[in-house]
Amino acid sequence: MARAPNPTADGRALSERALYVYGVVPQTTPAELFEEVPGVDPSERVMLVNEGELAAVASGVSLDEFGEGPIESNLRDPSWLAEKARAHDRVLATAVGRTTIVPFRFGAIYRSEEQIRDLLRERTDLSATLGRLEGAVEFGVKAFVDRAVLRARLAAVGGPAGEPASTGRAYMQRRQLERRLDEDLARFEADCAHDSHERLSASAQQGHANTLQQPEGEDESRRMILNGAYLVRTDADRGFREALSALEREYADDGVQFDLTGPWPPYNFVADEERS
Amino acid sequence: MSTPMRRGEYGRSPISGREPAQLADVLERVLDKGIVIAGDIQINLLDIELLTIKLRLLVASADKAREMGIDWWEGDPFLKRGKENGAIEDRIKRLERAAGIDGGSRSEPDG
Repeated sequence: MARAPNPTADGRALSERALYVYGVVPQTTPAELFEEVPGVDPSERVMLVNEGELAAVASGVSLDEFGEGPIESNLRDPSWLAEKARAHDRVLATAVGRTTIVPFRFGAIYRSEEQIRDLLRERTDLSATLGRLEGAVEFGVKAFVDRAVLRARLAAVGGPAGEPASTGRAYMQRRQLERRLDEDLARFEADCAHDSHERLSASAQQGHANTLQQPEGEDESRRMILNGAYLVRTDADRGFREALSALEREYADDGVQFDLTGPWPPYNFVADEERS
Repeated sequence: MSTPMRRGEYGRSPISGREPAQLADVLERVLDKGIVIAGDIQINLLDIELLTIKLRLLVASADKAREMGIDWWEGDPFLKRGKENGAIEDRIKRLERAAGIDGGSRSEPDG
């Protein structure tokens, strides 16, 4: 759709408005849930657009900021994007644990409420997704390893790291041991990540292992080995937390640390299958 | 920037309010996950994807972010395109605040 031309040659005309949509909730959700949270345009109130059993969480934006031209350059501004992404998440996070949420990806912008209602009517899959996600939230679990600790531990298990390299032969032996240690390290990290993800997934409704956030070779004392997301029923989150505590206990001596984040809106559990 | 996340006026949810999230986690979810909806305004998702990668690298480590500093923004033709000069420092400050880096000390709680 083409953008309406700016009606005045000098100064700005009244800026055109549009609606930014954060996601979908059941129609029974009280609008007051979003009463105090600022939208991606902080001067706008977040509201619900109802249609049938569904309600879209939306707030007003200016086309000066979110129109096709402006948004293209704004998307290249990291601080703008960071700020708006945070605002998007904050709106949905407000309702986590209080209603069921189907989160949309950043940037669903509509011209009017009527067009949002059309969307809610057309996407018949949204109701099924809401049903599937009812009573569930997302937790993030990241595992980090301190390689110095793990290396020392593996070396202790594998016997003394070797004599001083006084002879060529001793040197070669030591090199060989080091190489083996590197392999052991990589294998342990992979096994630990796999074991952790399996066990966390088993205590959740669903699990999803994401790409590691850390580039290879960064920070040896805090190397990410797992970046998982888990869909957990709010009435069963104790089991999930227990599974995490067990992992923390078991792997602590190996230098592995687990970070829990959330509860999040179930961002990781709505994509793909719902795509039309 | 305040975080209006911990509020109790609608009754306690079964799960308590969460800690302020790290920017990398927010970006990963808001820009990469969630249902893709083709709204009325067309957004170039490829732009978002490229920028997400860069942002992730940046926020992976607070020290790294400082190291990269202004050079990182200025030296990147992708990010420089379509931007006026002069506001770069201001942008970094805003991003640092958003990332919870805030001046010299890291304010994100660890663990």
